[in-house]
Amino acid sequence: MVREVAEREIRTRSRTKAFRVITGILVAAAIIGPIVSALWPDSGHDLRRVTVGLVHADETTQQQILTFAEGNLDLTFQDYTGVPPAEVDRALTDGDIDVVLDTGPTLVWDRETDFEIAGVIYTALQQQEVLVRGRVLGLGEGDIAQLLTPLQVEERFADELHESYGVVEGVAFLGLMLALNIPILFGQLTMMSVVEEKSTRVIEVLLGHIRPRTLLLGKVLGLAALGAAQLVVVVGGLTAAMLLTSALDIPASVWRFVPIIVVSILGGLAVYNTLFALLGSLVSRQEDVSQVIVPVFIPILGGFLAANAALVGNAESALAKALTLFPLTSPMMLPVRVARDAIAPWEIALSLGLLALGVLLLIRVAGRVYEFTLLHTGSRVGWSQALRLSRGAALD
Amino acid sequence: MKTIVREPVQPIATEEPPQRRRQLGPRPMTSSRFKPMTNGLRVDGLHKSFGDIAALRGVDLEVPRGRLVGFLGPNGAGKTTTMRGILGLVALDAGAVTWDGRTMSEEDRRHIGYMPQERGLYLGMKVHEHIAYIGRLAGLDRETADRRANDWADRVGLAERGNDLIQELSTGNQQRVQLAVALVHEPKLMILDEPFAGLDPVAVSMLSDVMAEQVEKGASVVFSSHQLDLVQDLAEHVTIVAGGETQATGTVADLRSRSVNRRLEIQWAGPVPAWSPPDGEAQDAPPGVSRFVVPAASDAAALIAQASAAGPLTAVSYEPPDLAEVFLELVRS
Repeated sequence: MVREVAEREIRTRSRTKAFRVITGILVAAAIIGPIVSALWPDSGHDLRRVTVGLVHADETTQQQILTFAEGNLDLTFQDYTGVPPAEVDRALTDGDIDVVLDTGPTLVWDRETDFEIAGVIYTALQQQEVLVRGRVLGLGEGDIAQLLTPLQVEERFADELHESYGVVEGVAFLGLMLALNIPILFGQLTMMSVVEEKSTRVIEVLLGHIRPRTLLLGKVLGLAALGAAQLVVVVGGLTAAMLLTSALDIPASVWRFVPIIVVSILGGLAVYNTLFALLGSLVSRQEDVSQVIVPVFIPILGGFLAANAALVGNAESALAKALTLFPLTSPMMLPVRVARDAIAPWEIALSLGLLALGVLLLIRVAGRVYEFTLLHTGSRVGWSQALRLSRGAALD
Repeated sequence: MKTIVREPVQPIATEEPPQRRRQLGPRPMTSSRFKPMTNGLRVDGLHKSFGDIAALRGVDLEVPRGRLVGFLGPNGAGKTTTMRGILGLVALDAGAVTWDGRTMSEEDRRHIGYMPQERGLYLGMKVHEHIAYIGRLAGLDRETADRRANDWADRVGLAERGNDLIQELSTGNQQRVQLAVALVHEPKLMILDEPFAGLDPVAVSMLSDVMAEQVEKGASVVFSSHQLDLVQDLAEHVTIVAGGETQATGTVADLRSRSVNRRLEIQWAGPVPAWSPPDGEAQDAPPGVSRFVVPAASDAAALIAQASAAGPLTAVSYEPPDLAEVFLELVRS
């Protein structure tokens, strides 16, 4: 009977205009993105554009800066000679220019030093100064050239996958976005389905043939399966488009954590579908949904923000480790820490084990509450009452 | 002159229900109203309160196999609560619900066909799909559920709407779908809450035929309705509840005959004379006709003789009140 309920949910939800439109948009974006990227082949290799405002700089200095910027920055100059300082500052704060090179030499920034730009300009100015001082000291051009020859420093990377790290980060971020949005979308569909059954009273007909917990399980699994199918379609389209257009060479290192992303998203679907179903059973009308839905967004959005921070920052912080083990946030945090290679195998096993346990426990609690609240109409059931119901109290 | 006299057996006022002490938990099956019965549905002494409101204060109901029973009562009498109690949708405070002599089980409930008062349908499902879905939940295999969904869609007049979404149907057609959903698994017990509400005469006729067919097949059918003329035509047996208690039960003829009143109608050949029977109460009547309500103990022959003496008659009828009037008598008392 779980299968019958799940099939019904998949059939009726996939048939709705809203679902088809959203899926269509996602698939279109997944396919069009790489195609657009392929049509602008340099778009992935553009240098950062930087505009330097010159209050005072001669041609030689400018040429020196351009030499050192070559291959690092796409640098242009704007002449601010004779422009009042207030106007120059305004140009900085408005973002018209990234930095001002003034007499001194002095670099003027908006709020803080941009070290990438500063490095290029400092090196250029330093080289020029050495040249001038060398000439003052009476060194020959050959000696000066020898002094100015840069030291060749070899680089070696301990992580043999370092070249693919940008791709890994990108895929991890994509997985994080999917782990956030798919449970929210399908969780709300689950909730709407529960409320619909209560408000149309069809639940009174169903309960003559099926137990509430069976109904809940079928609903959760059916919509989780639909979410997984949408995920496969979207990611499949994206991958096919990327490989077809050679827009991205997916390194082998990415595939090591893709299964974790998939399992995490499925786990997130199961957890949040169950949670949203529980919330739906507390109300009798769609209009009352907003009264109960807010708390569920706290862990899901909090988990997303923390995971995003771990993706670009410290993936081994105490917070990151804790959220890896909490079932409501682990679907987002776990893939990120795996992508960053900042998690031990035992932690992965523990996280997935706790996620599975959390799903089972949540289904059990939700099932108990569901049994009592499913036939309750009128005012919504409060959280404290719901908790008492989960411990076997009567609804009255 | 045409004379119609339907004599009562003996005038009996409302049967006082036996006093019951309120008990918590299910009670052993006892009956002071019914003879022991081992087939079909039996409901004995149902009690249910919602907070301070006592919705059921001792409801008894009996629906043997192969019988159609009208379950009547004013608004708030406890009809829907009783039905939901039978279905297990409401936890009862006291009383017993049995089927074929044993406590109704979860398995027994799967063989109930239920039509709720408010439409209980998935509006986003297609007609055929919905009927088949309930069939599969009721335990039918896919092929049988599909076949029966087709059969029932055809039977209720929706064969051509099988692929339409339920939300696209009119209220009356949704009601037909509801009926098909209740019947797809060939239930042994049908519980229909206000099934005729919102139906046109064609649909009423269809539903009546379907109910009669199910009864002929041996199903127990109980339905509630406010359309008492329809109930009188359809159901041979009725149970009347008011104030959460069963007030009367029996055949329609029996209940009518037990009324303390009788209807006397006289069609005059000429102008209506200024005559009325002793202890009679005049009722509205069309021109040339007199209508009175008289005590059941009246001597019908004497009254007719008195009327004849007052003026020439073309027709006289003397009969118990119809079910609607009996219902009002009981409810008001």
